[in-house]
Amino acid sequence: MDILLSSIVAGLLLGMVLAIVALGLTIIFGVMDIVNFAHGEFLMIGMYTGLLTAQATGIDPLLTLPVAAAVGFVLGIICYTGFIRFLLRGPMIAQLLGTFGLMLLLRNLALLIFGSEDRALHHGILVGKSFDIGMGIIIPATKLAAAGLSIAAFGGVWLLMNRTRIGQALTATSLNAQGARYMGIPTQRMNALAWGIGGGTVTIAGALIVNFWSVNPFIGLLFTMIAFAIVALGGFGSVPGAFFAGLVVGIITEIPGFWDFLTYTFNWEWMADVPMTSLKYMWVYLAYFLIMVLRPRGLFGWKQ
Amino acid sequence: MKSLLKSGVLVLSLLLAIGLILPSGATAEKVIKIGAIYPLTGGAAAAGRELRAGVELAVELANSAVANVDMSMAKNAGITSMGGAKIEIIFKDHEGNPTLGADLAKKLILDDKVDGLLGCYHSSVTKTVSAVAEQYGVPMINGSSTSPALTTRGFKWFWRTTPHDVWFTRDLFEFMNGLTEGKVKGVAAVPKKDIMTLAAACEKTEWGSFVSEVIEQFSKEYGYDLKKSMLYAKEAPDLSSEVRSLKASRADVMLFASYTSDAILMIKTLKAQKAQPKIVWGQDAGFEVPEFRATLGDSVVGILTRTVFLPQVVQVKKVAGQVNALYKAKTGNDLTGASARSFTGLQTWVHVLEKAGSTEPAAIQKAANDLNIPGNELVVPWAGIKFSTTGDEIGQNTLGSGLIGQYQKAADGQIVLEIVYPFDVASADMIYPFPKY
Repeated sequence: MDILLSSIVAGLLLGMVLAIVALGLTIIFGVMDIVNFAHGEFLMIGMYTGLLTAQATGIDPLLTLPVAAAVGFVLGIICYTGFIRFLLRGPMIAQLLGTFGLMLLLRNLALLIFGSEDRALHHGILVGKSFDIGMGIIIPATKLAAAGLSIAAFGGVWLLMNRTRIGQALTATSLNAQGARYMGIPTQRMNALAWGIGGGTVTIAGALIVNFWSVNPFIGLLFTMIAFAIVALGGFGSVPGAFFAGLVVGIITEIPGFWDFLTYTFNWEWMADVPMTSLKYMWVYLAYFLIMVLRPRGLFGWKQ
Repeated sequence: MKSLLKSGVLVLSLLLAIGLILPSGATAEKVIKIGAIYPLTGGAAAAGRELRAGVELAVELANSAVANVDMSMAKNAGITSMGGAKIEIIFKDHEGNPTLGADLAKKLILDDKVDGLLGCYHSSVTKTVSAVAEQYGVPMINGSSTSPALTTRGFKWFWRTTPHDVWFTRDLFEFMNGLTEGKVKGVAAVPKKDIMTLAAACEKTEWGSFVSEVIEQFSKEYGYDLKKSMLYAKEAPDLSSEVRSLKASRADVMLFASYTSDAILMIKTLKAQKAQPKIVWGQDAGFEVPEFRATLGDSVVGILTRTVFLPQVVQVKKVAGQVNALYKAKTGNDLTGASARSFTGLQTWVHVLEKAGSTEPAAIQKAANDLNIPGNELVVPWAGIKFSTTGDEIGQNTLGSGLIGQYQKAADGQIVLEIVYPFDVASADMIYPFPKY
């Protein structure tokens, strides 16, 4: 029983972390229908920002979050005004290949600057700490903090989108950019803002994740793939959808844990030999595939 | 007067001619080029630094006469049978990537025209690089890759000095049997049922997957119950589901084959998840690099690792102490299994070249097959180096042996590796069971 409970808790915590990774992707997609392949690279930059700031200044990694957010916000706006803005004039394929190129550029820049070595944080208030809440459930402090921040970020973005004029302008831009322009909404600025928020949320996620995952220049792809799966599952452009789909994906990555639960509860020898942990992301991609085939607009997507 | 001037000019021009000829004559000494392919960046970069430093120190000892080191390599300057020829190492970085390793080997052979190869640490890379060496007929000596399969391919140009994982893993099971029989220093006999269940997590390239198979094989042979055996990607940024699965198996003994960054992540996660095994054992590699203990600090106390060299060897082996002192002066660290073996790898090259007296591949091949380095020449505690030339294994050193060390906290607060196996050279009482996190 403890195996089952601890798997569910771990899955939900990881799900919230993955949800915040996908948040930026879904905002950018929602506002301007662009699929940002470089999303994982933004996360990687956030991870390096958190790691290097903490190591250079000696402050706790948690205090580097505002720095990472600022870096991501500025980077998002620079990417938009300096690059993406021009892609919008081209066909859809240009946008796809353009962000793909941005991904390669950022990744190789990181390789040039940081080298291919894995780096990890080993010191910090939360690093390596965990709470034993009984029933065999162990909660790592870093993941708890990340999950808390995820809820806060989703709450913040939801409020921004639904309760402020800027949010209404963003929503208008996403529903009908041309119409929004006629109404006097500066859609270019709204797009830039979407990229800024998208970049800022994902770099915050990165600076949090580096508290418990190691970073190297190639880490982005894994997160891009997972973020895509979450966004597809939740419905492209849906903010609450991304949150719930994150939780679902988190639980899906815990399938090996449920497998272990069955293995040891019923003592089925053959089950112990199945390499479930090696396949943990396979289930995520399988879910991605199924949702694309069976319900392309996702669980919470708009009917168009 | 005139004749005096004439003879003066003659003397001057003679001197000039000598001056021109002599230096070029002095540099005409042959240089032997050896390509060394190691993981200098990437996840195992920490080990790469060790490997490189070990090779560099061996080259210094080989190329110049160094006093107070009791090995023949240090007494001679250069390769005496080749007129004092010097060894030049060309280092290449394979980043842990087998394809890149093979490309680098081709470059070294075709562009740099190396006389031989040395490397590559990761068994997966050694596999591809040795295949290139075999194809071009270039001799390769391997000092630190331990996948058993490397020497069962019948290669004619590949020799391995280190013992491989079948020996090391047998050592582990002998050690566990010894624990149940009360042979371990400082521990009363442990009932076998206390350490009956095992769980293993190995990285999934050539090396780790073979270790995983060997563990499975020996746990059957020695009558232990392997509850869980899994492979994981060494680049994985997160191992928490793997660790939870290990914990779920409730195994008494946890066994690992990990490279550097994944070994650190694994122990960090075990600690965060409060896993409570009675024994934690690592198959060298990541469990032995200085970064492992530097990063994890006190969390490593009680962890066992197999190795071929520990600083404690110095107490029983004088030459190891002499080389260790030079290594420490150069790098600030003691020799480890990685650096001691890369040192020994190059030392083997020196002995082979000395015996061959030429850089002709055929001469080197014959010399390597006939080689017999006595144990007292080596820093590692082996009986010597002699390669098998017949049977299932070709090119494997038959005189190697392994150690099992345990991280312990010394009186001065330093974390050191003490020898716990073989039992007759144990340097400290073993900590058993593994301390609870």
